[in-house]
Amino acid sequence: MVQEKQVTLSVNGRSRTGRFPAHRTLLEALRELGHTEVKCGCEKGDCGACAVLVDGKAVDSCLTLVWTAEGRAITTVVGLGNAQSPHPLQKAFAESGAAQCGYCIPGMVIAAKSLLDRNPDPGEEDVRIALSGNLCRCTGYTKIFEAVSTAAAALREEGGVR
Amino acid sequence: MHANFELDIAADLAEAVAMLADADGPGVAPLAGGTNLIVDIRAKRYRPRRLVGLDRVEALRGIADDGGRVRIGGRTTVTELLESPLIAATAPSLVQSARAFAGQMVRNTATVAGNIACGSPAADLVPPLLALDAELTLVSRSSSRTVALADFYQGYKKDVRRPDELIAAISWEKPAAGSHSRYYKLARRKGDAITVTGVAVSIVLDRGVCTRARIALGAVAPVVLRARSAEATLVGHGLTKERIGEAAAQAASASSPIDDVRASAAYRRHAVEVLTRRLVTDAWQPPI
Amino acid sequence: MSTTRDDRGSAPNVGYRQIGRPLTRTDAPGKVTGRTLYAGDYSMPGMLHVKIVRADLASARLVRIDVSRARALAGVECILTGADLPDRTAATDIPGQTGRKRLNTDQQILVKERIRYFGEPLALIAAQSRDIAEQAAELVEFDLEPLPGVYDPEEALKPGAPLVSGSGDNVVAEYRIRKGDVDAGFGAADVVVERTYRTPFQEHAFLEPEVGLAWIDENEVVNIRVSTQVIEHFRTIAEAIGVPHNKVRILGALVGGGFGGKEDMTVEIYLALLAQRTRRPVRLEYSREDSFVGHGKRHPFKLTYRTGVTRDGRITALRISAIADSGAYVFLSPYVLLYCAVASPGPYRIDNLDFHGRAVATNNMYTSAFRGFGGMQACAAYEQQMDEVAKVIGMDRIEFRRRNFLRTGESISTGFVPPSAIWTEECVDRAWAALGEPTRVAYPLKIGRGVAAYLQSYGRLTFLHDTSEAWVGVEMDGTVVVRSGVTDIGAGQASALGQIAAEVLGVTLDNVVIYNSDSAVTPLAGTTTATRALYMTGNAAKLAAEAVRKRLAAGAAQELGVAADQVDFGDNRVFVVHEPARSMAMIDLVRACAARGIHRSELAIFRAPFSDPLDPQTGQGQAHPDYVFGAQAVEVAVDVETGEVTVLRSVAAHDVGQCVNRAAVEGQIEGGTQNGQGFALSEEMLYHEGRLLTPSFSEYLMPTSMDMPKVQSIILESRSGVGPFGAKGIGEPALTPVAPAIANAVADAIGVRVFELPMTPERVVRAIQEMERQI
Repeated sequence: MVQEKQVTLSVNGRSRTGRFPAHRTLLEALRELGHTEVKCGCEKGDCGACAVLVDGKAVDSCLTLVWTAEGRAITTVVGLGNAQSPHPLQKAFAESGAAQCGYCIPGMVIAAKSLLDRNPDPGEEDVRIALSGNLCRCTGYTKIFEAVSTAAAALREEGGVR
Repeated sequence: MHANFELDIAADLAEAVAMLADADGPGVAPLAGGTNLIVDIRAKRYRPRRLVGLDRVEALRGIADDGGRVRIGGRTTVTELLESPLIAATAPSLVQSARAFAGQMVRNTATVAGNIACGSPAADLVPPLLALDAELTLVSRSSSRTVALADFYQGYKKDVRRPDELIAAISWEKPAAGSHSRYYKLARRKGDAITVTGVAVSIVLDRGVCTRARIALGAVAPVVLRARSAEATLVGHGLTKERIGEAAAQAASASSPIDDVRASAAYRRHAVEVLTRRLVTDAWQPPI
Repeated sequence: MSTTRDDRGSAPNVGYRQIGRPLTRTDAPGKVTGRTLYAGDYSMPGMLHVKIVRADLASARLVRIDVSRARALAGVECILTGADLPDRTAATDIPGQTGRKRLNTDQQILVKERIRYFGEPLALIAAQSRDIAEQAAELVEFDLEPLPGVYDPEEALKPGAPLVSGSGDNVVAEYRIRKGDVDAGFGAADVVVERTYRTPFQEHAFLEPEVGLAWIDENEVVNIRVSTQVIEHFRTIAEAIGVPHNKVRILGALVGGGFGGKEDMTVEIYLALLAQRTRRPVRLEYSREDSFVGHGKRHPFKLTYRTGVTRDGRITALRISAIADSGAYVFLSPYVLLYCAVASPGPYRIDNLDFHGRAVATNNMYTSAFRGFGGMQACAAYEQQMDEVAKVIGMDRIEFRRRNFLRTGESISTGFVPPSAIWTEECVDRAWAALGEPTRVAYPLKIGRGVAAYLQSYGRLTFLHDTSEAWVGVEMDGTVVVRSGVTDIGAGQASALGQIAAEVLGVTLDNVVIYNSDSAVTPLAGTTTATRALYMTGNAAKLAAEAVRKRLAAGAAQELGVAADQVDFGDNRVFVVHEPARSMAMIDLVRACAARGIHRSELAIFRAPFSDPLDPQTGQGQAHPDYVFGAQAVEVAVDVETGEVTVLRSVAAHDVGQCVNRAAVEGQIEGGTQNGQGFALSEEMLYHEGRLLTPSFSEYLMPTSMDMPKVQSIILESRSGVGPFGAKGIGEPALTPVAPAIANAVADAIGVRVFELPMTPERVVRAIQEMERQI
């Protein structure tokens, strides 16, 4: 008999509850709860499309069992901003043309956010190392590097973390 | 992902070892970062009966200067290694390894104990730790013991950890003055790749003589191994180009690599020689 | 990073308001905020989840399959095997808007008896949850009897080789191009250089695995929401499941990457069959492992080039032999081979040419469309060969090319004269110059530089008689709607149509909405393949917008009291050309036109040039509407002890005709550079007896953020293309020259060539060791 339990998650500041078996990953659970912005690319931590922040650090939600995420603060790309009020990273990604097919972008933005929260003024090598777990097949990363550096400058100008 | 296992999440170390106490085989296992375990479960290479989640066990975290030793909790993540000034000061080879370790999300989750326990000969943290003479503290509900990392592995994915034990901590002696450690990961791409050959060296220099040498080789044998004859060639001597070359050749002979999708055995053996020579040379004449 | 040269145009810059600018694409805000719904993000009440059971041998006979235990599992709703689908096959020939006769390329949908490749589907399981479907798949029992297989196209050509299908031999396609007198050409040569180059399988590696959701609606129409490059597959699906064409509807979504890998059908037929059987919505999402074995790959090629050349660097003759691995089914192999044939001499004037190519069936994974489509494999060979020949005759590599470049107005391999400008030389010079001063390094690193020029078609084969449709209309408030079936696979195909309509109608892009990718309600635009979307559908959208503009201009002329040719549109207003103060807002104009019953929309069709097939004996004639020309230059550092290659600089120079969205053009170039760099250095699909040994992103290694240099794009605009505003295309061309440029740079660094891609560290070391042994 599969062991199931009710799990309450905090997603983008809101409480979300579902009934999940022990083997359910955070990726699967978030998507079941309607958070389709979290993308499935490989289910084994190779591509980064499913990255979310857990207590402020980017993790692959495909490698996280949902039971272990209970009580932690989960942030997806939707939690960062929206079209009317985008996060500086989202604004920079859109304006620099860093999103092509866009499928890697929710994870890419989360990985970049996790970097900038800890290192507000990253050098190019820091950005490269921080994004090496996020595969992109469309952009060659050139405009993604530009977007992260533009957003970092904008955030420093704002003088605070968002 | 579908699998059939129970999951117990431990609140603290006492609960964790209690939950593992009746473990009698690989069917019950501790779950730390999960970056290997979940992948294996999904691929059905591993079908656990019960997992014990360690993600809330704070006692297994932390990096401390324990007098003469550096001591890190088993659940220390790779990112925490990278962010630690103590690690940067005392184990540059471990930092080099951590920087080349997978991608950011995996580094944020994967733990040092998990990397050791997964038993892969390509595990990136193991060669530098082996070259540092690291020791593991294995704890269970009823026991605590210390095992040298050099004695931990018994064969491919075989080790001395009992199913009821956790790797609670990893420690090593703070390096003496004049010691230098280096790690190089050779892979088929620069970012987020499985190691083709990883070599760690750690040497101590005293007035022009090499007084201690450790050379650890990753992904070239069933386990990460020490090139002991190469080490012996270096100790007690000033390191000439010829002597380093001899040690590098001995390291290559000590390896027993296989052909796989990443490289041939011949290439790996060649890489061991090249990297050992380079790293020892570099450690011998560190840039000022 | 981009620089533009636009002072040398065949048409003057007409002062576009929207065209050519790096506008934020219409699809960007949704993508960066996570609001965009991809095909896999839709669900329906009562939906079933599908799992495919696949064969674990590449050449075998299905002796027994028993699904009774799986069927008995609670929650399993339907299981289909080959026995449930007697006589059902699916065509795998070229899709889309063409009434031309298809080749005989049908494939079994599920294995009936003979298994021809590793992973060929044996059974479909539909269950109430993914967990149950996965458990049921483990309960399916089957026995396979291994049969002799063939895994190397050259082995497959030998007499007595196992036949992959049918009778006769394993050759699935064969082409020749014969031009001039090759024997006389070799006779006139001072030197003859023959080399053989090998290119590997390649995986598209789109980040979004294949996915779809199907349901049957109240009109008995099978609706399929699917990630695809080609909504026109509805016809093939209808024929495969035995319903009329108008009973299948494909709804696309923004596609999470295609690159040719979603040009053939993927999950559609499986979903259609299960929706028919269960009468329930059904969803199928490939795992990454499914994706690796579930769609066709890039054709590996073995290309032998024999070049006759004079001491002063004139090519007198070229004989080419090509063998492509078609894998277990035909799919688009004949066309890929044809593209290779047409492109085979490259952007050079070759008066005496003999090309002979064959695509050969094996029990490897089938191969089909992939960005570059045969043209890029040809480029990998002809540009390495140019360097090899230059080395033999002791001439500078660029000077040798310069003496042989095709110039504007000259004919390509098939005798066809491209209608547009040929700016190869300028592209090569600009890219090479942009590399700047060589990077300084110390042993064991060595620096090398390489360049590659190319020609690559845009638009489909002209004998397919390609067409595309688009609808443009103006709403009562002056906003604009574009409707077109075009699929957007990430390059901004839809946004570009909006920009074109915006330019013609003088509105800003934020006042345009584009509806696309629905085979039932948006006019069919044809496939997003073959670098054709901007060319074909862009022209259709421009025609439609111009027709609307013409009628609105007539209305405006009446309102403003001037002649219609005195009216211009811009910034959401209409105004008198030499008196811009006399103007009215678009909204007022549209209302005035509506009051007069003026038709405010248009459905337009654009037809590519139609031709006959190439002459079967000589390969002469027209193959494509036109060609793109350009170049890539790279600088690499090679560690001569470990064989590691680092790309330090990568500069692309392409004549794109005319940018529509500059940022999107740069994006194509930067992404194509990543794809080509992976092909050159790290991406490798290893097979053992047809079984894929590298079915994940930890084993199949595309370049990461730590592997890619910042790509520099030099965009030239000849305004001479046959697309809208003189545009050509950039989707495929961006990739074509990258790998040979890197190969030439590596050879430059180490003094010896690695004749087989990818140039892994091990292959580089081996080449150096062999060279040292010979010295």
